[in-house]
Amino acid sequence: MNVSLYTINSFLILDHEGKRLFAKYYQQAEPIQKQFENELKIFNKVNKLNQDILIYQNKLIVYKQINDVIIIIISNLDENESLVYSLLSNVSESLTILLDNTIDKLTILQKFDIVSLCIDEAIDDGIILEMDSSVLVSRVTNPPSNVMAQDINLNKIDLSEKGLFNALSFASKKIGERLQQGL
Amino acid sequence: MSTSSYKKGDPYSHSASLPDKMTVFQECLQQFNASPVNAKKCRQLLSQLLRLIYSGESFPSQESTTLFFSISKLFQHKDVSLRQLVYLTIKELSSTSQDILMVTSSIMKDIQSGDLIYKPNAIRTLSKVLDPTTVSASERLFKNSLVDKNPIISSAALVSSYNLLPIAKDVVKRFTNETSETIDSYKKFPSDQFQLHEYYGSSTTNLPSTTFMYQYHALGLVYELRNHDKMSLKKLITSLTDHQALKNSLAVIQLIRFIHKILIDDESLIGQLFPILLSFLKHKSDSVELESCKVIISLQHLVNKYEFANVINCLQKLLNVPRTATRFAAIRLVNKISIKHPKEILTVNEELENLINDPNRSISTLAITTLLKTIGSGTIESESSIGGESVDRLINKMTSLMDEITEDFKIVIIEAIENLAIKFQSKHKKLVKFLTDLLRDDGSLELKTSIIDTLFDLIKFLKNDESKQLILMNLCEFIEDCEYTELSIRILHLLGDEGPKTSNPSYYIRHIYNRLVLENSIVRSSAVISLSKFAIICGGDVKTNIEILLNRCLNDIDDEVRDRATLSLKFIKNNEKRLIINESKFDLNILENKLIHYLNDESNFESKFDINEVPLLTMEELNSKEIENKLNNLDKNDDVEIESNHKSHQIEESNEISNELLKQQEFSSELSSIPEFSGYGKLSKSTLKPIYLTDKENEFVVTVNKHYFMESDDAKLVLQFNITNTLNHLILQNVSLICQPDNSLYEEDFILSIDELKPQETGIVYVVFNMPNIDDIELFNNFNNTLSYVNREIIDDNGNIDESDEGWSDEYPIEDLEILPGDFIHPIYNSNFTEIFDQLSFEQSTVVNLPGVKSLDNAVTHFKDLFNMMPLEGSQDLDSDANSHILKLFGKDIWNNKVAIQVRLALTGGKVAAKLSIKSDSDNVAKFIVESI
Repeated sequence: MNVSLYTINSFLILDHEGKRLFAKYYQQAEPIQKQFENELKIFNKVNKLNQDILIYQNKLIVYKQINDVIIIIISNLDENESLVYSLLSNVSESLTILLDNTIDKLTILQKFDIVSLCIDEAIDDGIILEMDSSVLVSRVTNPPSNVMAQDINLNKIDLSEKGLFNALSFASKKIGERLQQGL
Repeated sequence: MSTSSYKKGDPYSHSASLPDKMTVFQECLQQFNASPVNAKKCRQLLSQLLRLIYSGESFPSQESTTLFFSISKLFQHKDVSLRQLVYLTIKELSSTSQDILMVTSSIMKDIQSGDLIYKPNAIRTLSKVLDPTTVSASERLFKNSLVDKNPIISSAALVSSYNLLPIAKDVVKRFTNETSETIDSYKKFPSDQFQLHEYYGSSTTNLPSTTFMYQYHALGLVYELRNHDKMSLKKLITSLTDHQALKNSLAVIQLIRFIHKILIDDESLIGQLFPILLSFLKHKSDSVELESCKVIISLQHLVNKYEFANVINCLQKLLNVPRTATRFAAIRLVNKISIKHPKEILTVNEELENLINDPNRSISTLAITTLLKTIGSGTIESESSIGGESVDRLINKMTSLMDEITEDFKIVIIEAIENLAIKFQSKHKKLVKFLTDLLRDDGSLELKTSIIDTLFDLIKFLKNDESKQLILMNLCEFIEDCEYTELSIRILHLLGDEGPKTSNPSYYIRHIYNRLVLENSIVRSSAVISLSKFAIICGGDVKTNIEILLNRCLNDIDDEVRDRATLSLKFIKNNEKRLIINESKFDLNILENKLIHYLNDESNFESKFDINEVPLLTMEELNSKEIENKLNNLDKNDDVEIESNHKSHQIEESNEISNELLKQQEFSSELSSIPEFSGYGKLSKSTLKPIYLTDKENEFVVTVNKHYFMESDDAKLVLQFNITNTLNHLILQNVSLICQPDNSLYEEDFILSIDELKPQETGIVYVVFNMPNIDDIELFNNFNNTLSYVNREIIDDNGNIDESDEGWSDEYPIEDLEILPGDFIHPIYNSNFTEIFDQLSFEQSTVVNLPGVKSLDNAVTHFKDLFNMMPLEGSQDLDSDANSHILKLFGKDIWNNKVAIQVRLALTGGKVAAKLSIKSDSDNVAKFIVESI
């Protein structure tokens, strides 16, 4: 029986051929070659079956296949199935939001920073840190924006993520008011 | 790869492959050291670095350290989004880098006055870079973060403290009060929590103001800090449930696990804690309900039937939810109950039948296997017609299911049927019919093989002759039209073994003869051997007829068939039964082991390989081992691992069979390598599982194995004490044991002691006794044991001891060791207990009360372990609410006498009484067993 907070064994994202895009093993560190083999075995077990959950090699495996990727969480056999599955579905929900509704191999690789941060906010060292998808989304920063070219003098303008966003919401509010006045 | 090509491209082309490690490394050094730092570019580089790390690439320590150092330069840049990723990268690199302490001050500064966004990341990263000596410096920082109003910061501090427990428990212990207060506190997100991401924008509806995750983390930490104090844990549980303080479902699950833990240690608390568990059966979260069910089910023996019905109701509800994972969990639990208490779940049969067609195969398999079990209990209890009806219905359902599913899934179901047919022999008939029908349908070799395997096993283990014949006849029909040579051969072989023992051997002979006419040469030659078995066993007319048939084969076009026919005819004529029929078989695993050993060393080649070293197993012994394994597997496999790789599965299984023998063999060779034991002859038996004579957490851990040498005239008992020194500061010298036997027939011969036992080492002390033999009735004995040794304290880090100090000698009493009847008996399987029981001539009986045994279940285990015999006819399973039970045990002692024991158990007023009738080939054995009780 597990009374510790350590709940998750590993978090994987595999592509359409079973190759890993993301893999984080929280507990035991098997040799890398063995990890690859196991990932491929798991992939062959779950690919295109959409069964959500199975027991394999004495581990509880929950997974979700979205487009050309599979997100997999592995935990111990006696772990609470419903709990682990909730974690999986919430993490993939927040990834959907963070990746603008396109979870696929290309996007994950392009926005790998966002994916990594999101998973790190959900699981730390195998401990579930947060499960609510909106909170997860709110914790992940977007990359610094493109406008920040070096030749512009940035000292006076607040061009950080937050500043830009404030400007945007200010603008939309003003536009809204104008429109209402016009009507 | 440049950063521009990283941004766009086809996922299946170049850009999707991993960036080059060295390029990224070089570019990182360049960019991170640049001035001013380009935040966007650096974040991209870090992202690539993480991709390498998460793909399994690792940097050697030196490169990693260099990277780490240059990343620390990025602390100069203020951009929050860059900083957040910096923290993640530092966290990932911290395990492979050196000098990681250098970033400590930057991180601490961020925790004190940094931006809210990356503060939690900083806290979590800090716990990764600290080492035991520096933790105390950040104590205040952690404590402040822990009590922070922001739930995310608080959680980060709690989890980090949790991760620091192994290296700095004393520091974390000082947070105990703050942690406990956190559980009860109310922390909510700052108002701008969701404004960072445009998806949520300024909308504030439907967004949580807090998720209470900190309760979960705090609860986990409090438990670790207080786990030695059961009373305070109990207080925590009751206080938290009294005013329903826990709002987070993970926290509630954690609480349920604590309740479970506390109940395992102290079952008497069930009355107090059970209502709490019960209240969680109606929770808004599936996971909480499941967890509560799980705990109650594992404590089922403490719960009465009426209260248990609540769990069944809850599971019934969960079986119907749309979410697969929950249904899966629920059916796993239902299946778990069904193994021991099939009757309890009769009420959910309807749900189970619906789940047979569940899209998730694991669920549908579990539904079928569970149903098979519950139907079994139905037939025992109610009128057979009702039970029969439901078996029919189930089989109909399965038959229709069989058309829809893939072959590997069929194989899983077939295996399930086999296990159940063995365990619940009463309803094999329907199942046999189901299997043979399936055999007639089209199918691959693999599928047919698994059906044939199952039928073979059923023949071996079923006691009913009628059903055996039914299977054999079906197999005969099958080979009439079988496209697979390998299957035909196996069936012919089996027919040769089993056919002659049946009432109408000529039926089989006809079918086998047909093969001789119609099949290819491989099948023909195997049919020849099969026929010759009939001739030698049946004799009389059969023999003459077969001789005629075999004579015709002498003109076969294939030489192998001719050779076999000639040879067989010769054997039959001279009545060489032993040459035709195998009655025993070498233990193949040990044979392999010995041969490898022999071949490894060329000096062995001077003498011939001695086949006599390999034990011969009779078919009887092989069968018992096999069925024992199967039953064990059945009990273990409460979870069906769907589509497991069958071949590897089977190999494992056969390994398990031989494990015991191998272990025995190991002991034997270990002991024979010790010169003192050389004259003792062959090792008769060892107890294989080490018996603990101390607690497993003691300063010294002592286990013992008993080895009996009974073949020479003066029997010897060798006690092998395995002693582990778990103390880090002491070296033990002259370690020995003082064993005082109660029985004067046991005389101590000599002791092989250990000279020196260093910390964490395990050594073996052998104590040898002259012991009485079977003719002396007083075989049983109790040894009173004391460990004796000289203490030498370790004075420096290299484990040296002070030579001038002579140490002091000490004694350490450990638990007693008993000689038990099970030490002399091997479990043996036999399909017909009653018959064998009646055959044995010597009988003894006795009546005993079992003090301390409170249930029939425990009594069954008690006797099974005491005698080390095999329970037959499924008598180890009993009804949950029965007041009496008959346990049938069978085995063979080391002098080759059969022993059968029938134990009648009765439960009255919480006490178990047992009446034992012991029958055996030898009066002595029966007497000595009675004596032992």
